[in-house]
Amino acid sequence: MAKSRNGTDIQFAIIGSAGDGTIAAGDIMKRAAALMGYKVIAFDIYPPEIRGFGKCISRIRISSQQTYSLKHKSDVLISLNDSHAIAHVGEVRDFGAVLFEDSPIAAIPEGGHISAHIAAAQVPYGFANRRICEEATGKARSRNIVALGYAAGLFDIPAEIFHEIIAQKFAKKPQAVTDDNIRAFDAGFAAGKATFKLDDVRVGMPQQVANGKDAVMMTGNGAVARGFLEAGIDTYFGYPITPATSIMERLAAALPRAGGRFLQTEDEIAAISATLGAGYAGARAATATSGPGLALMTEMMGLGVMAEVPFVVVVSQRGGPSTGLPTKTEQSDLNLAVFGGSGDARRIVLAPTNVEGCYRCAGMAFEIAEKYQTPVIVLIDLYLSNRFETVIPPRENVFAPKPRIKPELPENQPYRRFALTDDGISPRALPGDEGHMHTVTGLEHNELGRPSDALHQQMNAKRHDKLTSATRYPGLTTCKRFGDEGRVKVGILGWGSTFGEILETMYAAQDEGISCAAMKVVMLSPLPEERINEFFDDCDHILVPELNHEGQFANLVSGALGRPVVRLNRTTGAPMMVDEILAEVRRLAQTGIGEGTHSPVQQQGATT
Amino acid sequence: MNEHVKPVYLEEKLDEIRADGHLAYRSKSLPTWCPGCGYFAMQEGLTIALNRLGIRNEDAVVVSGIGCSSRFPFFVNTYGFHTLHGRTLPVATGVKTANDALTVVAIGGDGDGFAIGGGHIPHAARRNVDMTYMVFDNGIYGLTKGQTSPTTAVGFRSKTTPYANEDQPLHPLMMLLAYRASWVGQAYAGRPHHLADMMEQAIAHRGFSYLHILSPCVTFDKTDRTYANLNMQVQDLPDDHDPTDLMAAMAQAAAHEIPALGLFYREERPTLTDVMNDTAERARNAPAPAE
Repeated sequence: MAKSRNGTDIQFAIIGSAGDGTIAAGDIMKRAAALMGYKVIAFDIYPPEIRGFGKCISRIRISSQQTYSLKHKSDVLISLNDSHAIAHVGEVRDFGAVLFEDSPIAAIPEGGHISAHIAAAQVPYGFANRRICEEATGKARSRNIVALGYAAGLFDIPAEIFHEIIAQKFAKKPQAVTDDNIRAFDAGFAAGKATFKLDDVRVGMPQQVANGKDAVMMTGNGAVARGFLEAGIDTYFGYPITPATSIMERLAAALPRAGGRFLQTEDEIAAISATLGAGYAGARAATATSGPGLALMTEMMGLGVMAEVPFVVVVSQRGGPSTGLPTKTEQSDLNLAVFGGSGDARRIVLAPTNVEGCYRCAGMAFEIAEKYQTPVIVLIDLYLSNRFETVIPPRENVFAPKPRIKPELPENQPYRRFALTDDGISPRALPGDEGHMHTVTGLEHNELGRPSDALHQQMNAKRHDKLTSATRYPGLTTCKRFGDEGRVKVGILGWGSTFGEILETMYAAQDEGISCAAMKVVMLSPLPEERINEFFDDCDHILVPELNHEGQFANLVSGALGRPVVRLNRTTGAPMMVDEILAEVRRLAQTGIGEGTHSPVQQQGATT
Repeated sequence: MNEHVKPVYLEEKLDEIRADGHLAYRSKSLPTWCPGCGYFAMQEGLTIALNRLGIRNEDAVVVSGIGCSSRFPFFVNTYGFHTLHGRTLPVATGVKTANDALTVVAIGGDGDGFAIGGGHIPHAARRNVDMTYMVFDNGIYGLTKGQTSPTTAVGFRSKTTPYANEDQPLHPLMMLLAYRASWVGQAYAGRPHHLADMMEQAIAHRGFSYLHILSPCVTFDKTDRTYANLNMQVQDLPDDHDPTDLMAAMAQAAAHEIPALGLFYREERPTLTDVMNDTAERARNAPAPAE
């Protein structure tokens, strides 16, 4: 697929049992590839249980040009434990490679060895992992590293880079650990190098070697934490919940060093309440949660809108409703994020589509919240939270707070916290500012902030209209079009992590000769309606693939614009498959104008 | 005619009231409470306490929840946040954490604090957030026009307990002592001078201070917690009570149906801010966390 755009585009899948060092080997592989200057996207799958022998998978896609999602088929599978890897042999493409231990230590039942499951078109590489490891280090512990070395030798990837990453990885342990692992790697490397290569997997040199040192390998959650820290986050109050917890853990370690305040609260309600309290007092305040936590937080979101308090909430979605699928990805909290709560409570919702977007949205969220005096939700999902990508952060901190300007006090007049202004934004005083004493409230209020029903309609309009200019906020991509320009047959409209698969689909469709464009919408509230409408104007059919059952984004867009879309909804707990979207694009491309979009339900695509 | 009694002239009395400056802490909004409500004493008490402690208006933040008592911030001339039902303490924790220079006073009623907000009280107390929590306890939901609260007496009839309340009331003082609030005291709206003194002490305490204030609801409780009944029941803590003795404080709190007025317990221990500063110090000396 789209080979013309990539010199190198290889996906490794390392599969083993908890305790085999699967994730650790994957970590070394992805960091080494990033250091060499490849673009890397990686996603680890852990067993939901903390203990036991559950399946671990680390998938790493390395490429010389930007890619946007993992591939459906892997090029190389490295088995560290056949009992788990056998089920995944089928994901290796034809003429791809399967690497495995060829000398098991004990008798295994018929069919228990992976060699019996490798298809004729796949290329098997059995090697004596345990013996190589024991000969090199005297122990059998570093078999994951031997396997890495074998792969590096086989595919001719320079060993020095791996040496550097291994040394970094074990820097906190005794020197002997590093030495043993480097010996294990080198022994594996020699074995791989000596093997006659029969597959067609080619790892070429990366194109942007110069950037390797600047590239930072981070997950979506790591990117959020980094964005927060660069923005000078003052307080983080949070409550653990999968898959957002690693944001909290990162800040627990980093925030006290950076002069900020961190507290694990008694529940999500306290987390958001304290975040709102800190935002009211002038802090850059944020919290992070998942769907069930956001459900608890919605009442306080409403207060944030009503009392015009800036703060930031990151929401990493998982399967729902209720406790749902805590370790599987989904995009089904859009409605809650955009609409959740009582009354008309418009807020700003940003949904980044990749790891760099997580970093940028988290970094800019405070500034936007402060400018519009309102809560900002950064809506991501488990797939984005946990997947690794290479990001090259800007050399200068672009998110740091600017000095605050205290509002002037009108002479002989009381301070009007909620003054009705042309742009709907009122001068905001903070506790401690002399002479500006006032009380804010969740009750409807007048310009002074005192309870009153009289201005409800004007105040509703103020809170709503003040956000409209956010759709063109400088320095923030709120929506963007990709692919063919002008009139196209099929337009794919997407949001969040699914947009990676959407872009890959679009490129594949273009390679097939289908005129195709894609648009990502990052700002879900307020919606950049004008530009989305223009996109609709250009497309014969609009396809909206998303990971929820009801088509929440499709409803949002078609409701706002009053225009029909074709939906593609999946809730398997896994990311959308490019092949599935592509099939739908092909179907729509063959349908005439007025047939596809307005026709009754066909195949998998339901229509509105 | 008793020659010791001197006539009081309104103008002179007003000059005397104005002279000490506590009126500067009243806002221009007139309270919405019923005439005779105990909360007027709280408004007077807090303005006196803030004035005596010399806390500047702009440095005080009064945070409240929802209920009759939670309307309080509108009636004092400080910064105020009238938040959501039951969320007074976590919001106040956020305010104090963001700006340690502020004097934070959290105010709510018995329903706001001990029904919907009950889950937050132990955590604010154990963390020793440096703020004052005042619960105005009238044993009833007044703003929604007279329903049973968690501190309503057994046998009381309200609109939601028309056949008499059977639920055992909570014992806020015992709870706060068990949560290790670092300052626990009780006052009564019918003793306004003592009330102002207790408010002053509570705000001056460094750490989480809890002041429980008994206050009649003159509109929806004509039978149980009335001024007449409370006047007969309240008493002072014994002179020899040692406020540093937790077990003695517990014994005093449990001794009477209406516990005595005064300071039950006080201890000095690090506040949340102290702990966070200590954590920051240790974090700065630790190796940098991994990306």
